[in-house]
Amino acid sequence: MKRSVWLLLILALVIVYPLLFTTPFLQRLGALVLLYAIAASAWNIVGGYAGQVSVGHVVFFGCGAYASMAFFTHFGWPPIAAVPVGMAASVGIAALIGVPTLRLSGHYFSMATIAVAELARLIVTNVEALGAAVGLSGPVMPRTVFDLSFTSALPYYYLFLAVLLVVLGLTYWMENSRIGFYLRAIKDNERAARSLGVQAGRYKLYAYMISAGLTSVAGTLYATMYGFIDPESGLGILTSVKILIMAALGGAGLLFGPLVGAAILVPLEEISNNLLGGKGAGLTFVVYGAIIMIIARFYPSGLLKLLLDRMAAAKPAPSDKQVRDVA
Amino acid sequence: MLLEAIDVTKTFGALTVVNTVSVSLNKGDILGLIGPNGAGKSTFFNCLTGDLMPTSGRVILNGEDVSMMTPEQRAVRGLARSFQVPQTFETMSVLENVMIGAFLRTSDPARARRRAYEVLDLVGLVDVASAVAGSLGTPGRKRLEIARALATDPEILLLDEAMAGLTATEVRQAIELVRKIHQTGMTLVIVEHIMEVIISLAQQVIVFHQGHQIARGTPQEVTRDPAVVTAYLGKRAAANAARGFAGDPA
Repeated sequence: MKRSVWLLLILALVIVYPLLFTTPFLQRLGALVLLYAIAASAWNIVGGYAGQVSVGHVVFFGCGAYASMAFFTHFGWPPIAAVPVGMAASVGIAALIGVPTLRLSGHYFSMATIAVAELARLIVTNVEALGAAVGLSGPVMPRTVFDLSFTSALPYYYLFLAVLLVVLGLTYWMENSRIGFYLRAIKDNERAARSLGVQAGRYKLYAYMISAGLTSVAGTLYATMYGFIDPESGLGILTSVKILIMAALGGAGLLFGPLVGAAILVPLEEISNNLLGGKGAGLTFVVYGAIIMIIARFYPSGLLKLLLDRMAAAKPAPSDKQVRDVA
Repeated sequence: MLLEAIDVTKTFGALTVVNTVSVSLNKGDILGLIGPNGAGKSTFFNCLTGDLMPTSGRVILNGEDVSMMTPEQRAVRGLARSFQVPQTFETMSVLENVMIGAFLRTSDPARARRRAYEVLDLVGLVDVASAVAGSLGTPGRKRLEIARALATDPEILLLDEAMAGLTATEVRQAIELVRKIHQTGMTLVIVEHIMEVIISLAQQVIVFHQGHQIARGTPQEVTRDPAVVTAYLGKRAAANAARGFAGDPA
């Protein structure tokens, strides 16, 4: 009961945030937090719940982003209309990558996904139809409202919020159904899960495909807001790492973990970019590296888990004695 | 015939770990697999469960050849197992661990939860249902593994050293639990080191030595078998034992 009150309170705050903080910088910052929260929440399904750490998720992000810009450039579609195209392509690519690589355990899967992402970046850099190294642009002037080209970040903020709520709703449903239980079991102990009839390979693939499709939506939204995509912003390894770190910092495998991570990291990055200007680009990598080390050393399950554990510890655990009796 | 292994052989490179072993079980049987360390009983066990594929020979479950099937395919067909070193889902609660098993027969979380509670009641873990599995000790984990396997509604349950690492009292409790499960009509295969367990539970015992089946029969028969005594205690002790038996008026 108390938990739902807290959630409603936080949701209310998120809804009124851009009305309270009306400067363009803060509104844009809010929109970006939500955008990356979408991407990180999508990653969370395969990386957090199923425990298959993909470091190549930018492929799906890029797929969504490139679909919107390419279909605008070649066919004049409004960028947002390419959402189904990007999703379908991402799910297809995920199936293609997933079938051979999800058999690999742990780090080998991560490495395979990095290789695929880099390969995609190199290929796109050499394909004229996709703008090659220069990239593709969206509508210069909004033709209709469907182009979703606004100067203010406010409409984007609410659009991203709506999409994020859908993604979180889907994750919540998954968490409480058989697939969610199975994914956690596979993450904890794949061999034991298989002995209980869990088709581990199939469920990992499902998680990867769902995650890929949703990540692609984040890519399309990104391209719609920026109106531009190039191999670095759409397929660069830094975006993969950013998505992963947000989920891990907030709490991988927790519903709101990625949102917490995005709310910490995006402002940090925007502020440091503002302070350091263009020279800060290289420094971002250094900061991310440091964050990875800190998470791995001190908070392997993320900040949100740390907080929840603290709250749980504050209450007495009733079954503690019984545990010892049986154990 | 519920489960049948025909001439199962498993080799790793040049090493033959299981050499043409055959068993057959009817519904309600309890089969014990015993033998010294490294005799091949665990390898044979894993060929039955699908964790290993036999190099040659066949495994028949309910009339169907499952020799090349994965563990999850065999689980669907009614085979469940526990592990020698407990493989519980450490970060999940005891209840959730058992629900994973129950989900094999239903996709509805509420029904899986009900089934899980039934099984937890049977194995005596209801009181710790909400505890994290990682907080249980060895006996608790072994019980949890049995509960999880039972939740899949198996026809045959294979227990891999379910009593290893338990104290004498805990072993007696575990034997009681296995008896209770057997009384529900369950067919069981148990790999065990502890002779007391095998003698009090199994109707039929197969003794492994260096990959071969060296004896088969009731627990009483195999413990008197000279080949078995030799395998366990060495030749001289076997000779002494034989003299001992010869002088025994019974």
